[in-house]
Amino acid sequence: MRLKTPVAMLCVGLFLSHQTIAADLPQRWVSAGGALSEWVSALGGQSKLVGVDTTSQHPQSLQTLPSIGYQRSLSAEGILSLRPDILIGTEEMGPPPVLAQVKAAKVKVELFSAQPDLPTLEKNVTHLGQLLGAQAKAAQLLQTYQQQLQAQAARVARVQTTQKAPGVLLLLGHAGGKPLIAGKDTAADWLLQQAGGHNLATHSGYKPFSVESLASLDPEVLVFADRALSGDAAKAALFKENPILNSSRAAKAGRVMELDPTLLVGGLGPRLPAALQTLTDGFYPAKDGQ
Amino acid sequence: MTTLVKPRGLFIGLTLLCLLAIWLSLALGPVSLPLVDTLRAALRLIGLPLAPEGLEQAELILGQIRLPRTLLGLAVGGVLALSGVAMQGLFRNPLADPGLVGVSSGAALGAAIAIVGGSFFGGLPEWFGPYLLSVCAFLGGLGVTALVYRLGRRNGQTHVATMLLAGIALTALAGSAVGLFTYLADDATLRTLTFWNLGSLNGASYARLWPLLIITIGVAVWLPRRAKALNALLLGESEAGHLGIDVERLKRELVFCTALGVGAAVAAAGMIGFVGLVVPHLVRLLAGPDHKVLLPASVLAGASLLLLADLVARLALAPAELPIGIVTAFIGAPFFLYLLLRGRA
Repeated sequence: MRLKTPVAMLCVGLFLSHQTIAADLPQRWVSAGGALSEWVSALGGQSKLVGVDTTSQHPQSLQTLPSIGYQRSLSAEGILSLRPDILIGTEEMGPPPVLAQVKAAKVKVELFSAQPDLPTLEKNVTHLGQLLGAQAKAAQLLQTYQQQLQAQAARVARVQTTQKAPGVLLLLGHAGGKPLIAGKDTAADWLLQQAGGHNLATHSGYKPFSVESLASLDPEVLVFADRALSGDAAKAALFKENPILNSSRAAKAGRVMELDPTLLVGGLGPRLPAALQTLTDGFYPAKDGQ
Repeated sequence: MTTLVKPRGLFIGLTLLCLLAIWLSLALGPVSLPLVDTLRAALRLIGLPLAPEGLEQAELILGQIRLPRTLLGLAVGGVLALSGVAMQGLFRNPLADPGLVGVSSGAALGAAIAIVGGSFFGGLPEWFGPYLLSVCAFLGGLGVTALVYRLGRRNGQTHVATMLLAGIALTALAGSAVGLFTYLADDATLRTLTFWNLGSLNGASYARLWPLLIITIGVAVWLPRRAKALNALLLGESEAGHLGIDVERLKRELVFCTALGVGAAVAAAGMIGFVGLVVPHLVRLLAGPDHKVLLPASVLAGASLLLLADLVARLALAPAELPIGIVTAFIGAPFFLYLLLRGRA
């Protein structure tokens, strides 16, 4: 490389000192991960975000920011055109040559794990808090989050002493057509377990199902996550496209619940405890004396 | 047969177009660099320290992002178009495209194995990881093409019709294997596979570029030397034989060049459709079927088309980026239809 490092550092330093008030903290953020963008917003850093990827859909106001495309097919020049100080994303972010190019342009690239478990989340949020200069807020958010999840776990344990865990299937679909069933090793499976449901699907990953096996599993509760529609429209489409579902115990008892599909992408997000609570409400109705 | 354009005019026009495309590809991008900075950075990159210091950002974007990308576009476009000419000459059919001998489907299979099954190749050395996909795609393309060629041979002769049918059968077989991998893939790898199938010049790096550049130059030097033989082949295989052409050798060379060229292009940039089919056809419509003109003109036209398509791909949705395969087909298909219908009227 002919690039003279000291000179380059000096230039970048001068450039930054014009741009930023706080000396070291990155001021212009680009986020390539749905849950990460949510955490940045929750930590009060939303005004620092200058670009997000297509998985960053929450909070709604993020959707007005420039889109850098899907997290796995980012473009180096596109990201650089937003003049970011930092690019954050999960290990799914890529392709690697693009990340190398972004790094070469002196943009800090921070990778976070999307593993859905608490220790990982703790590490991620603490780190984000440091980068945003909001350590106290991060600690406080984490504490509340842990308390909520602990209360959730305690509640599930309590009701399971009196009620059997209901058999659940989670259907991930697009406007009702040919839904994929969430099996083991998915964020959806983890979610169902935390909410106290028993996932009837035993395959791994999201797979299409034959209607026959769907009927034979006969779930007590159906949870659907639709990427195109929401609410009653999604429910109607699901039953119209898959009439066999009408004969399931879940449909007969009216125990069909909706889940926001963006909760299933990119690790644990801040909206999770509330979603878990709603699911548990549906899994253990009435007798749970909440 | 009269042609629309004289060869000389065609070459001048295509060279200018290609130079323009190269310039645009270097000068335009989501990051808007002032023209002066681009020129200065370019001067510094070729080792002329005429420009002042302090253009590191411009130099980096030009040297590490746009230049490799432009070179990749030139090589991929050129070699795909050349392979198209080779296949259309071999099958003596203007609708032939490099996919016919199985090189694209073989590469897709190789890529699917690498993407979905990548984690099973646990014992690979660290440095090889990033190149696994490219190497698998290249070997897959070469392997399936070799098989198609073997199946087309009988009694020391290559039957083009048998080869064509074998190509169709193996393409279907490879397609079903890719389908199986698609089924086995989880969400994340599925998206990688989908994007790979649409092709992209994004993330071009010199390490991936050199093998393709060498192969492209090799093919681009070799094939035009066989222009006369390809012209003779247009008359028919036995006629070409009577004219003193070693037809068996020619066929072998054509298949080999295509497998090598398309394999390398696909390995570097993923699947990019339409260039190999349309560019030779387009040049033929403009300048007639003489391979002496067709081969070099297709290189220029293919390279220009791909660079211009890539420009659309990176600017249309900036700062995000479109896969280039979408753009080539979106621009290419209507233009192709227009040429077809105009010829009929």
